[in-house]
Amino acid sequence: MSDDVLLRATDIVKSYSSRTKNLGQRTPNRAVNGVSLDIRRGETLGIVGESGCGKSTLARCIVQLLPVTSGSVQFNGVELTGLSRRQLRPHRRQMQLVFQDPYASLNPRRTVGDIVGDPMRINRVASHDDINDRVRDLFVTVGLDPNSLRRYPHEFSGGQRQRIGIARSLSLNPSLVVADEPVSALDVSVQAQVLNLMADLQERFNLTYLFIAHDLGVVRHVSDRVGVMYLGEIVELGDAEALYDTPLHPYTEALLSVVPELNDTDAPRRERILISGDVPDPSDRPSGCSFHPRCPVATEICTTQKPEFVELRPGRMVACHHPRNLDAAPLTVPPPTPPVA
Amino acid sequence: MRDLKVSFATRQGVVRAVDGLSFDVGPKEVLGIVGESGSGKSVAMYSILGLVRDANVEISGSVKFQGREILGLSDKEMQSVRGGEVGMIFQDPMTALTPVYTVGWQLVEQLRAHNDMTKQEARERARELLAEVGIPDPKSRLHHYPHEFSGGMRQRVVIAMALSCNPKLLIADEPTTALDVTTQAQILDLMERLQERHGSSIVIITHDMGVIAEIADRVIVMYAGRPAEIGPELDVVRSPRHPYTWGLLGAVPRADVKNRRLVTIPGNAVSPLAVPEGCAFAARCPHKMAICDERPPLRGAHQHLDACWLTDEQRLAIRSVATTRGES
Ligand SMILES: Nc1ncnc2c1ncn2[C@@H]1O[C@H](COP(=O)(O)OP(=O)(O)O)[C@@H](O)[C@H]1O
Ligand SMILES: Nc1ncnc2c1ncn2[C@@H]1O[C@H](COP(=O)(O)OP(=O)(O)O)[C@@H](O)[C@H]1O
Ligand code: SF4
Ligand SMILES: [Mg+2]
Ligand SMILES: [Mg+2]
Repeated sequence: MSDDVLLRATDIVKSYSSRTKNLGQRTPNRAVNGVSLDIRRGETLGIVGESGCGKSTLARCIVQLLPVTSGSVQFNGVELTGLSRRQLRPHRRQMQLVFQDPYASLNPRRTVGDIVGDPMRINRVASHDDINDRVRDLFVTVGLDPNSLRRYPHEFSGGQRQRIGIARSLSLNPSLVVADEPVSALDVSVQAQVLNLMADLQERFNLTYLFIAHDLGVVRHVSDRVGVMYLGEIVELGDAEALYDTPLHPYTEALLSVVPELNDTDAPRRERILISGDVPDPSDRPSGCSFHPRCPVATEICTTQKPEFVELRPGRMVACHHPRNLDAAPLTVPPPTPPVA
Repeated sequence: MRDLKVSFATRQGVVRAVDGLSFDVGPKEVLGIVGESGSGKSVAMYSILGLVRDANVEISGSVKFQGREILGLSDKEMQSVRGGEVGMIFQDPMTALTPVYTVGWQLVEQLRAHNDMTKQEARERARELLAEVGIPDPKSRLHHYPHEFSGGMRQRVVIAMALSCNPKLLIADEPTTALDVTTQAQILDLMERLQERHGSSIVIITHDMGVIAEIADRVIVMYAGRPAEIGPELDVVRSPRHPYTWGLLGAVPRADVKNRRLVTIPGNAVSPLAVPEGCAFAARCPHKMAICDERPPLRGAHQHLDACWLTDEQRLAIRSVATTRGES
């Protein structure tokens, strides 16, 4: 594993045994169905997909909050699956999760200062006084008033609560922050504040982000690379700008085509590709390519043979028998995207 | 609608949820109302339909529908307006559906309440409606309960209910907010097609400028219960005039163009209990002047109005600086 890979997930599968649809019969629901990805040091890897496609499950498997059914997660070169709780602890400290719901994820009966300090107390990393100092510092870092330490979560707005969650996630100096829909519950102006804050923190503390969201605009904005999930699988992964400009998978292409656009220039709108029907139940996965029943370009082979996840263009992985826009997709690796201020 | 004001007397004080909203909706027009949460979008629309059930509410102003004043109608009169000439679609489809009856039963009831129809005719019409909103196998779906439909399909059922009485006006409150982007596209597409076919007018409420740009002819940008800007959709999106609209548009991370710097509006939304007498946006506005302590009138030209004291010259100067800084 090369040095710039912080975390490598290989063929992760996570099944839930779903509550019985056909009485008594337990059909395993493969919420994550063989996901492989690398997270590189210092990058933001975005994961985008519609609800139920397995994003949160994948995030929890990666930070070892959920045991994987099969597959491997290597972090800093160490295999994490199969470790005991105690063995995991030093690695878990390095990986912190930020949740979507700033309301449900903060204990309403503890002061926000205690909430932010808790991970340090639990891990016994510092003395009482040092923890208090550090909590104050963290409050300043995320743009909160350190004089509000003694207040309770309900006294804060949604955006402020998300800052509290971010402060908590930073308290143990993690190298990887996994953010699961961190701005989805926020109004757009507050969302912009939190996104800008996360970008500043990344630069300042050298953080690596796994950033999960269903909003395609948000994911493009924050990510260096993007993975697109459908029904528990990553169907396309690549450099963010390249993927948005020349989507290779028909699902990515359709998804991008229906994002409401502001049409604030005279550039013609991307033609809408409406995909019909609903996402199938993961316990009733279609044969061949999981997307084939809804795919506008599917053929016979798509119904029988599962497409391999292969690198079709430098740095661009895709699982599809009939990839799109190949002519337009560059044959060379794009230069690294300059950091956005 | 003329000068609609809706306030709630609460223990903490008076909440001015809507504070002077006026607009017209023309025949076949799609009017979008956009604003962040708490800006008064829902309260404005619900109060004109008598759906704000709160003993401490005070509503004033005038709302004329096809020339007839409907503000202050009795419950009974209002009921014939709702679900008759005015159809409604909510963010949560279950607001409009009952879990314990089949969708067929609910459609038939709705149809027979507003039309002179036999049960048989109503059943047939119900099937047609489900087919029209794109529900596969409509005949057997009539026998299904709402929970047996997916979120997107349920919203289609609600649209069928709303259409059942050939409404002249359709009010849709965040109809796609709970849906995924592919389902949202299906529903917006359906609304557009139905609007063309039936020629109804639509008022669509949303927090998403993108949705407005996709479907609306005209748009009202709301802030703290007041209209900040009103105008044709293209004008507002391409040459926004109000600083709040600048912030709102600039804060959206885009999927369709390479991202530029996100504009942030400093601070949080103003508390509904403490909306200032002057410009509601003043506390967060980077361009606040002394005169902003007075309430700016809604004014402008060519149907494009805004409530801001900045002169045209000032706006031009501010916008050209923003452009060179790479903000939108
Ligand atoms: N605790 C659970 N038990 C059973 N099924 C679950 C559980 N959590 C999630 N699922 C199922 O797994 C699939 C993926 O869910 P999730 O990871 O939450 O998706 P996303 O975050 O993309 O919306 C869904 O079909 C969901 O119903
Ligand atoms: N019954 C009520 N009593 C007191 N305040 C209310 C009531 N209903 C709504 N409000 C307040 O009115 C304001 C506008 O609410 P709403 O119209 O729902 O906003 P939007 O739909 O734009 O998100 C909010 O500040 C809300 O808290
Ligand atoms: S493999 Fe076939 S069905 Fe799957 S996305 Fe590609 S073209 Fe569509
Ligand atoms: Mg999730
Ligand atoms: Mg609302």
